[in-house]
Amino acid sequence: MRIMQVLAFFASAWLVAQSALAQGISNLPREETIIIENPQGTITNPPWFNIWMVARGGNSTGLQQLGMDTLWYIDPDAGIDGVWDNSLAADKPQYNADFTEMTVKLRDGIFWSDGVEFTADDVVFTVQTQMKNPSMIWGPVFLASVDTVTAPDKRTVVFKLKRPNSRFHATFTVRWNAAWIMPKHVFEKVEDPTKFDFNPPVTIGPYKLHSFDPNGKWYIWEKREDWQRTSLARHGEPGPKYAAYIDPGPPDKRVILQLNHQLDIIHDTSPEGVFTLVKQSPTSQGWFKGFPYAHPDPTLPAVLFNHQVKPFDNPDVRWALALLIDIKAVSMASYRGAATISAIGVPPTGLYGKYYFDPMEDWLKNFEIDTGKSKYKPYDPTVGQQIAEMLRPSMGEQIPTDPKEIAKAIGRGWWKPNPEAATQLLERAGFTKQGDQWLKPDGTPFSITLLVEGDQRPVMTRAGTMIVQQWRQFGIAAKTQAYPSDFFPRVESGDFETAIGWSVETWGGHPDLSFFLDSWHSEFLKPRGERQPPRNRQRWTHPELDKIIEEIRTIDFDDPKVQELGQEYIKLAVREMPIIPLMSYNVFTMMDTTYWTGYPSADDPYTNPVPNWANTKYMFVRLKAAKAQ
Amino acid sequence: MRTYALYLVRRFAQFILVVFIGINIAYLITHLTPVDPVEQAISSVTMFGQSSPEMVEVMRKTLRELYGLEGSAWEQYVSFWRRMATGDFGPSLSAFPTPVSTLIWQALPWTLGLLVSSTLIAWIVGNFLGGLAGYYRKNSLLKALGILAMSLQPIPYYIVAFILLVVFGFLWPVLPISGGAEMNIDRQGFAFAASIVKHSILPALSLVLVGLGAWFIGMRSLVSNIVTEDYVTYAELGGVDRRRILFSYVMRNALSPQLTGLALSLGAIFNGAIITEFVFGYPGMGTLLVRAVNAGDYSLVLGITSVSIIAVASAILVIDIIYPLLDPRVARS
Amino acid sequence: MMKTVRDLFRYNLEFALGAILILIVFGFAAASFFSPYPPMDSYVVAPDVPPSWAYPFGTNSRGQDVFWQLTLAIRNSLLFGLSVALMSRILSLLIGLVAGYAGGITDRILMTINDTFVVIPLFPILVLFFFMMRDNMSWPMLAVAMASLGWPYDARLIRSVALSLRTREFTAMSVFSGMSTRQILVEEHLPYVLPIVFSTTLNNMNWSIGLEVTLSVIGFTNIETPTIGTMIYWANQHTAMVAGVWWWILFPVVLVIMTFLGLYLLSVSMNEYIDPRSRLTRMGGQA
Repeated sequence: MRIMQVLAFFASAWLVAQSALAQGISNLPREETIIIENPQGTITNPPWFNIWMVARGGNSTGLQQLGMDTLWYIDPDAGIDGVWDNSLAADKPQYNADFTEMTVKLRDGIFWSDGVEFTADDVVFTVQTQMKNPSMIWGPVFLASVDTVTAPDKRTVVFKLKRPNSRFHATFTVRWNAAWIMPKHVFEKVEDPTKFDFNPPVTIGPYKLHSFDPNGKWYIWEKREDWQRTSLARHGEPGPKYAAYIDPGPPDKRVILQLNHQLDIIHDTSPEGVFTLVKQSPTSQGWFKGFPYAHPDPTLPAVLFNHQVKPFDNPDVRWALALLIDIKAVSMASYRGAATISAIGVPPTGLYGKYYFDPMEDWLKNFEIDTGKSKYKPYDPTVGQQIAEMLRPSMGEQIPTDPKEIAKAIGRGWWKPNPEAATQLLERAGFTKQGDQWLKPDGTPFSITLLVEGDQRPVMTRAGTMIVQQWRQFGIAAKTQAYPSDFFPRVESGDFETAIGWSVETWGGHPDLSFFLDSWHSEFLKPRGERQPPRNRQRWTHPELDKIIEEIRTIDFDDPKVQELGQEYIKLAVREMPIIPLMSYNVFTMMDTTYWTGYPSADDPYTNPVPNWANTKYMFVRLKAAKAQ
Repeated sequence: MRTYALYLVRRFAQFILVVFIGINIAYLITHLTPVDPVEQAISSVTMFGQSSPEMVEVMRKTLRELYGLEGSAWEQYVSFWRRMATGDFGPSLSAFPTPVSTLIWQALPWTLGLLVSSTLIAWIVGNFLGGLAGYYRKNSLLKALGILAMSLQPIPYYIVAFILLVVFGFLWPVLPISGGAEMNIDRQGFAFAASIVKHSILPALSLVLVGLGAWFIGMRSLVSNIVTEDYVTYAELGGVDRRRILFSYVMRNALSPQLTGLALSLGAIFNGAIITEFVFGYPGMGTLLVRAVNAGDYSLVLGITSVSIIAVASAILVIDIIYPLLDPRVARS
Repeated sequence: MMKTVRDLFRYNLEFALGAILILIVFGFAAASFFSPYPPMDSYVVAPDVPPSWAYPFGTNSRGQDVFWQLTLAIRNSLLFGLSVALMSRILSLLIGLVAGYAGGITDRILMTINDTFVVIPLFPILVLFFFMMRDNMSWPMLAVAMASLGWPYDARLIRSVALSLRTREFTAMSVFSGMSTRQILVEEHLPYVLPIVFSTTLNNMNWSIGLEVTLSVIGFTNIETPTIGTMIYWANQHTAMVAGVWWWILFPVVLVIMTFLGLYLLSVSMNEYIDPRSRLTRMGGQA
């Protein structure tokens, strides 16, 4: 069989070629390049860099992390130089007494990548252009709040606001993203800024576009020669000469790529994938040195109830359902124990332990529920320790022993499962039990459909499956439904009973809660059938809540009262249980130290390593080439 | 000849009708889906960053106007066909204002390249080996191949692809398991071509393995039927070279039904594209379609579906037109 | 009947092999009725235990016994395949027989519809269907959807047989003797096409089970019903391959391959038994 010989020849020739080509990023020096996962995957419209238009191209392709900049950044962790960073602004925002005017001073000596200087005109242009084109992302926000914007001089911008707004600067403050500043000299030449692709992008960040895949699978950025003329230079020189943001495929492929040292930062993968990396790749590290490895993002996954669907408008029912959940099992099922649990309505991340969890612990311990038949204290402060003990036999030394460490990594307490109290609460709400099945007050079976995101968010889907199982074991006809596409639009349309999702997101580093809480005011509530604007996805309203929100609106962002009012909200949310808080959104970001070192970690929490956050730009100045050391 | 012309006209009218109905069904289904591109766009904005409730209202209204979603269902339907008539699928909604056709043109070469070449390879190899197996029925190697083909044939594509992925991507990681070509490679020249070939080995192999069996078995049974015909026996008795008998007499006659099948499977390649591209992270129409569906971008979904409907219908049309010319018996009936 | 089966077993290796495989698979499915755990529950056993005497197929990362889960999964998959096959057989019989017998304009209309269905890209439509149905996307709905897409090829095949039956003398005889169309189709023509129906049933089951697996692994089905597809889906979600939990993937894959092979071998041997040239006519029917 001559064919076979020929085939064998080609096969071996190809194998040789294969090893010669070996891992690499083609003609770029690997030791000067960092390869990062872009969780957006493949970009549908690769040559679109106009980040000011809605959902057109990629934004976490490196564009918003390395190419863009705006006035301020708040770090979700401790920050490279404190939580607050004046980025393009030279100082904090200055409001007048009644919060109707905000003045911003800008930095000197910042240049766009094409050599044009950044001035106040760019900021004014950014605001005015988007107000003229409300289909641009921040247009509607500016339209709603800005009366006029002017630049009295090259370094000053004055915003006159339509109504008092003590949080207006938040629009220009990066938490994941914010309103990015546009290059006036580029966009003013364009006829219609909504149809302009901005390719190649003129950047104000420390990198500029090197090349990208016309099929949207990768983007490569190159350090600007004049990186000193960007705002990041205050913190040092960015390490990597090139940064590639790639679509590495599904979770298992990401793990394989990092095992082969072809992917320096994994954005997220499955807990099992992380355990594999920890076992097989000594160079891979997570946020925590040991368990749970993942970075807790300041987002609070929870069981969301639709308060406009009976019986979920009844706090007794909501509390009963909460008391049926065994968080230990949920933590095991979802994150294999690598979750950071939270009993209260803020995520247990960043500096929130200090701001909220520690001060509230005693109140929680003494918190009492009255089921009508009995009173008891549902808070079990030892749940975090219990999870740690449960994991210790199989995970050994990776599990922290110091109670403080456990509280930080695995969480503090949660509600103790109590089927008896749940029974009493349900009976008070008019429910009855017939055989194994609970019936609603109207005599029909109590069934619950829990919406989950399926493939889009495997870990949350696993948590939902576990919760539903616990409800089912209690005699509630519960089931999950996977809905991988347009999950949040559907939740916001009110077309759900319960869902695993989130409506609480915070700054992480800063105690102010208005980021999510302001939108929970009853003035924004929509009747059932109409779309609820984010983020009051549970459509919960309460007169006391409105009062808290209104008070926050009148005080300064940095006022110490912010924390006090935040605690008021938390207490209210514990009593009412509008959502069942579960845990922080732990992102399994894994970093390979083969080529780069100096990544942020729980021991050195100078910024969030989760690479789609625009805040990760601070990571670049700390990254050092491993080979050079 | 007049009957053939009449046949052509009738057949062409049927083609138009089938395409029309097909695209209409696709239109109906895409417009019944509750996924709303405007809401998708908004949630991509509010998912991570700030969102004030007022902002969402304004954005919703302007996007609706921008996307041209205003107007009654009937008006939208009419304007859809008006644009279709000129070959214009309109702008994509998830990649607005990029035209759908631009996105399809970007993806099409990858899908076509991968699927056409692997379908052809499977066809050629399958028929060649199948022909041999039908003719030399005693050869034990060919018998073994037959068993192998039999056992591969019924296994669904996903399973085969998945096994290949696990074996060559994980257990013995020698082949790239995602992407169409290496990153940042010079898109001209030999290295680029080599890289494309390298990246297409696994997906192509999976397609060939799955496709091969059917051709092999089909050709084998066709040939073993023809071999018993008188003219083959005469040729053998007459001392004609056996190789010549196989290729000029037997295989050639067996080829026409297999050609029909080839045209059909070439037309249907878009079906296979989705799952192949999903498993191997390959760029192309399938990936594009899944992303379009997830984004509720029905202009894009409709564009892709229409292209594939037209492709299959044209393939069948071409066969039906050529068939009578190859086989006059059909033309007469 | 029994004798035929015995003969097939003795003289047709493919039939014997196929029958044995299918018996094993069905036996496996039947075992699901004896499962010691509720099928939907997770974390009933220790997770990630490799195959052992206690757990012959090991346990998965969701704390389920792979053996018992697999019995239920294969039962559901088979049930799914059967229901799709039955429903689509009824459609293809109805359309094929009527078109073939009636001929003329009825035939042309029915075949145009038929061709339209052939032309519509199946997989995209099923994916779209999932997004259209949302809440109502259950297992029976998917079966109905697949059945309504899975008939055209076989309808054409049946039509071509019916077409030839129409010109036979006995049809003319029946018409003269005053039988109604329905009677002719059911009593005279149906018996001729039944063997084809039977063998296409097996092929159709293969087709629908395969599609179900494919849709499930992408997550476009109800992921809570255990089927072979959803098992692989969950295994992928837990990155079972890189996590070293190979038994979670291997056993479902092996079992599903046995199913496909078994069904395929049975249909092939049946075809041969009915008509050695049936494959040829089938190919002609497609054109």
